[in-house]
Amino acid sequence: MEPIFCTIVPPHVLDKLARNEDQALAEPARRTLERDAALRTRRRLETVSAIGPVPAGAPSDQPARTVYDAKHRTDLPGRKVRAEGDKTAKDLTVNRAYDGLGATFELYLKAYNRHSIDDSGLPLLASVHYDESYNNAFWNGEQMVFGDGDGEIFNDFTISVDVIGHELTHGVTFHTANLEYFGQSGALNESLSDVFGSLVKQYALQQTADQADWLIGAGLLAPRVTGVALRSMKAPGTAYDDDVLGKDPQPATMDHYVRTGRDNGGVHINSGIPNHVFYLVAESLGGFAWERAGQIWYDTLTGGELSTTADFAAFAALTAASARARYGDGEEYQSVLKAWSQVGVATNGGAAELPHQTPAPEGAQPPVHG
Amino acid sequence: MRISVNRSGGFAGIERHATLDTTGRPDAVHLHALARNTLTAGQGTPPPGVPDGFHYAITIEGHTIHCADPHLTDAQRELIRTVLKEGA
Repeated sequence: MEPIFCTIVPPHVLDKLARNEDQALAEPARRTLERDAALRTRRRLETVSAIGPVPAGAPSDQPARTVYDAKHRTDLPGRKVRAEGDKTAKDLTVNRAYDGLGATFELYLKAYNRHSIDDSGLPLLASVHYDESYNNAFWNGEQMVFGDGDGEIFNDFTISVDVIGHELTHGVTFHTANLEYFGQSGALNESLSDVFGSLVKQYALQQTADQADWLIGAGLLAPRVTGVALRSMKAPGTAYDDDVLGKDPQPATMDHYVRTGRDNGGVHINSGIPNHVFYLVAESLGGFAWERAGQIWYDTLTGGELSTTADFAAFAALTAASARARYGDGEEYQSVLKAWSQVGVATNGGAAELPHQTPAPEGAQPPVHG
Repeated sequence: MRISVNRSGGFAGIERHATLDTTGRPDAVHLHALARNTLTAGQGTPPPGVPDGFHYAITIEGHTIHCADPHLTDAQRELIRTVLKEGA
């Protein structure tokens, strides 16, 4: 196994933030330290097949949302501040989280007839105001967690609805293909969260593929940062280029695939490649991206053929097979083949055919150059 | 005592690194206690963590341990905050 955390440091790792002398950047840290932030997370991410229990009767077409306020501490979930059907709260962050959960539930239900994360009406939980000046949002295996950002580099992580869709899609992936969060399967896991996160936003705004911005985290970077978002599916590597933050490190093609042990093997970096493939397919097909392009990706994610350790090539072959299974040999299938080819990932000529598709052998590597 | 923190992962996937030297600091004794607790509770290899969670590699006098959000001990969290000067 490749050693972790001691191999190649990606070129973008410039430690610029750490060297910054600007007190305004360091200032958010000068706060009272918390002493009693005992962790109560009940479950860790585990790479096991997890199909939730199916309750009796058909799941509801209505979400079951609950938003909690962590009150700048790290105990989860925190105090309940808005449950399903409650009136609008005074706290805009709470309302954005609640609405974002609703928008995500809506996309999955209306576009794919999926009832929540587990397709059985699982309640949607989110905690906001996690920790102090916390520059992150994550999925802890049970719920979404949002920091407020420090206001210097990041704004409130509930600002972008695609971030909320991204986190909840980690839950969908956990309940379906359960892609291992490392290396290429991890980058696919990340990419699926970006794809459906972006589709949540596009569906909410009723945007066609050519109208969408294809950005992840638009509005998340504070005003002083030079950049438009955290990632761009349309043009990976162009989302930001900033004195403090460095440059967006995402590749768009396999020629620039980044080999690293950090970030779980570069899951947030190499996701740019499958992200761009989805954009290319959606752009080529036109219209609403959640319809045909999204359906092909959804079928691939939930079809039961995707291995937990799938690499890009295995995923590519399955998207081609999914396109053909649903739409035949027409433009959908051809668009998928062409898009993967454009980024340098082989699809075996789309020879795979569902439902007889078998995953690529363990350790199979796509072509990597440079 | 030199204490380094490398943070990777997170939703943005942007890495941060910082080093602190406790020499001459008024809170040196407290930081040394945090460092001892951090080493005791840490793992030699990176834990799996959670999707989009931060991963930390903390190096204290040449010894490196790994930990990940949200499964940090109080000592790890306080030490990370102090070194990175940011929420952990």
